[in-house]
Amino acid sequence: MKYDNILTTCPYCGCGCKYYIQVINGVAKGVMPCKEDPVSEGKLCIKGWNVVDFVYSEGRLTKPLIKENGKFREASWDEAYNLIVSKFKKIKEQHGPQAFGLLSSAKTTNEENYLMQKFARSIIVTNNVDHCARLCHASTVAGLAAAFGSGAMTNSIPEFEDADCFLITGSNTTEQHPLIGSRILRAKERGAKIILVDPRLIQLAKFADIHLRQKPGTDVAWLNGLMYVIIKDGLVDEEFVKNRTENYEKLKKEVMNYPPEKVEEITGVPKEDIISAAHIFGNAKTASIIYSMGITQHTTGVDNVKSCANLAMITGNMGKACTGVNPLRGQNNVQGACDLGALPNVFPGYQAVANGEFREKFEKAWKMDDKIPENVGLTVVEMTNEAHAGNIKCLYIMGENPMVSDPDINHVKESLESLDFLVVQDIFLTETAELADVVLPGTSFLEKDGTFTGTDRRVQRVRKAIEPLGESKPDWLIISELASRMGSSAFEYNSPKEIQDEIASLTPLYGGISYERLDDLGYLQWPCLDKDHKGTVFLHKGKFTRGLGCFFPITYKPPAELPDKEYPFTLTTGRILFHFHTGTMTRCVPKLDKEVPTGYVEIHPVDADRLGIKDGEIIKVSTRRGTINIPAYITRKVPEKIVFIPFHFKECAANILTNPALDPIAKIPELKVCACKVESIGE
Amino acid sequence: MEPELRDYVGELLDSGTVAGVLALKDELGAVKPYLFTKNNEIGDLVLTSKYPLASVMSMLQKEDPSIKLAIVCRGCDERALIELAKRNQINLDNIVFVGIPCDEEMADKCNCLQPYPKEIVTGEKLSNWVPKNNYEDFKNMSTEEKLIFWKGQLEKCNKCYGCRNACPLCFCSDCELENALWVKHGRLPPEFPIYHVIRAFHLAGKCVGCGECENACPVGIPLMTLNHLLREDIKDLFGYMTGQDIEDENPINTKEEY
Ligand code: SF4
Ligand code: SF4
Ligand code: SF4
Repeated sequence: MKYDNILTTCPYCGCGCKYYIQVINGVAKGVMPCKEDPVSEGKLCIKGWNVVDFVYSEGRLTKPLIKENGKFREASWDEAYNLIVSKFKKIKEQHGPQAFGLLSSAKTTNEENYLMQKFARSIIVTNNVDHCARLCHASTVAGLAAAFGSGAMTNSIPEFEDADCFLITGSNTTEQHPLIGSRILRAKERGAKIILVDPRLIQLAKFADIHLRQKPGTDVAWLNGLMYVIIKDGLVDEEFVKNRTENYEKLKKEVMNYPPEKVEEITGVPKEDIISAAHIFGNAKTASIIYSMGITQHTTGVDNVKSCANLAMITGNMGKACTGVNPLRGQNNVQGACDLGALPNVFPGYQAVANGEFREKFEKAWKMDDKIPENVGLTVVEMTNEAHAGNIKCLYIMGENPMVSDPDINHVKESLESLDFLVVQDIFLTETAELADVVLPGTSFLEKDGTFTGTDRRVQRVRKAIEPLGESKPDWLIISELASRMGSSAFEYNSPKEIQDEIASLTPLYGGISYERLDDLGYLQWPCLDKDHKGTVFLHKGKFTRGLGCFFPITYKPPAELPDKEYPFTLTTGRILFHFHTGTMTRCVPKLDKEVPTGYVEIHPVDADRLGIKDGEIIKVSTRRGTINIPAYITRKVPEKIVFIPFHFKECAANILTNPALDPIAKIPELKVCACKVESIGE
Repeated sequence: MEPELRDYVGELLDSGTVAGVLALKDELGAVKPYLFTKNNEIGDLVLTSKYPLASVMSMLQKEDPSIKLAIVCRGCDERALIELAKRNQINLDNIVFVGIPCDEEMADKCNCLQPYPKEIVTGEKLSNWVPKNNYEDFKNMSTEEKLIFWKGQLEKCNKCYGCRNACPLCFCSDCELENALWVKHGRLPPEFPIYHVIRAFHLAGKCVGCGECENACPVGIPLMTLNHLLREDIKDLFGYMTGQDIEDENPINTKEEY
């Protein structure tokens, strides 16, 4: 008998818990927490504990599929590759490389993301490569890069333990990032103060010193309001502002338009609470801002992020331990997918495609004859729009499910159906894969080697615990084989380790990262410039990446769609503890499915009463985009006039309802606010 | 302690007494449970850290009921194996116990009642050991204060089921914590206080005080306080201590035919 424990990194949230997979005779049997792991410390959330179940779930794809006469049939790898190669070549010939779009994946490894963008840029020769970070933290990347010079979480998870004050907004931390939530609770017991800004009564509300329940989409207003009080009451860190930042006077001028009375009018938060929150934050020795999609998924996403950066800088809460602006990344490797250049405007390590030197460097390394276009490529939502308009003819999608994750699904469906050729590479036949011409079976994280980068820039190993199921292949191998068949000689890798070495040689941020070092040290946090560099626990120490931190004066703008007579409710969406993203993984785990088998809409008892809705009753929720039928969950968690729907469930998909209106800079859709109508249908 | 122990278990393997030795292995800067099957791997066998090895043993026996294995075990591992055997979850005949005592630091950390197994092959048992924490602070609280205390603690619960998953004595395949009759599904935190009370009471007369539940709790709920008090009650009421001898009858296990 062989019994072993393989140390690997969780494929769900961005906390990046490492744990063991218990393997008996080649079969994964369960999870064993790793007590020495600095993130999880031997503790996990319910998703982590049950991770093995999705890997063996019945729905796993084990053979390539080709669609014929509207139906899938199994095919050999050769056949599938040949078909893809001939179609890709033909479409490229007829319509040129810009008729392609490639979606990489925040679920796959760094190495695979690197290869996907390499495939886009060197084989297809387009910058039309993006991934779902567009839908969660594109505004973070844009906003923080503008303010600080780097778009990543500034500080690290273990530091939360020792912060004196937290401002948590738009993050239901104990549900979405349980192992960060637990640290906040521990800090609270030690005496740390918690300021929670969230419309809903989430679990953290019970532990918050003060809870501001703002109207969705009014974040710039309350953030400016806090800064108004901080400036007015002399709580600005003058020294920090003078030495480390620029543009303060302009910020001050703007912020002074937001006295608490006015902020109360816009946000619905009592002015006394704005003042107390500002005092708690301004007086704290170390204060850490934690946010997530409640801040980013707005047409003013970049504005919201910049406002958070403003608040951190005027109070000097930057560049030291236990402070900072800390966006929590939702997916296990959304940070890595961004870092490795699965974005239309940058190469790995955020090296701009507009820069000729970088283009030349990569053209040379990738042995290219063609020239990489200097124009920025299309983003996720733009790709679907362009497909709809007939300009994008072919999409190659790896491990993403826009048919559930993207706003306005009906529109996404039409777009995908109008393509000439759609290739989907996934472990399940997702709603998106159903529409594909060819489906390639990738493997889960248990069946491959690689690295993930957690939310705090923590690069960690994913280690193969079991052999690929059926004929499935790791995604890195699929992309490499496809590239080779497209005629490239720059994709010959024996293992992901060689890909990581190539990444290190071309990406200064990852320059010192290698499998040997990760085995020795357990993790490395970027920037990690060379083999002697220990990695970086928190960013912007002594100096911002861009030199001086830059204040941006921000004017409040209301959300794109406000409630009106016809659509009198505000709809907000999000995730819950027991499921993950589009549910493809978690919904086939019996223990998670048992907890929450389907979606629901949270509605306040007063509203329910007025509309004659009973708990558990199926009701109708509609917006200008569409209608869904969904069970009602009557709860005081939501305020009156606001309803909440978790987006994991395709049978009552929140994203049929959501508004695809985009942030002008980051192109992130406004998934967090739209106007809706709620009706009883007497069922 | 380690070199002697390595020799000892190496001998068990070489002589063919057992097909494998379940113990802890040092790898990648961490320590993990591992089944040693070859003498040349034994160099990585370590005694630091602590994992619920009794659960692993039970899993291995289920995989191959006839396999004979050794286990390098602490006091709590041994007690867990004995309680599991009383409930037909494990076959002691196929297990060779390789007992090791815990040092003072470890015993303190666990506030352990009995930081050694019955027989040890190396090291020394702590003599006259009495755990420091007697939970007096908690006992001195009024009922009202206790209620407030537990409410505050249990509201932190993340419903990870980690306390159950990590517990060597939680082996039921149909767990009552997942029964919607008692605990509503999908709510966070789980309803007060039923979720935690069910688990505590189901462990009365079973809990061996290994501390794995509290170690696994991401939000630091002092689960060992509950366990300790229940263990005291079981001792006071029935004179029963868990995991002492396979022949001791468990007062809460009914053996009535019906
Ligand atoms: S989902 Fe997140 S918190 Fe839960 S185990 Fe995985 S990484 Fe840890
Ligand atoms: S209840 Fe806790 S201390 Fe008791 S046996 Fe289970 S894990 Fe060990
Ligand atoms: S381990 Fe802690 S958080 Fe998890 S279910 Fe048990 S008490 Fe709750």
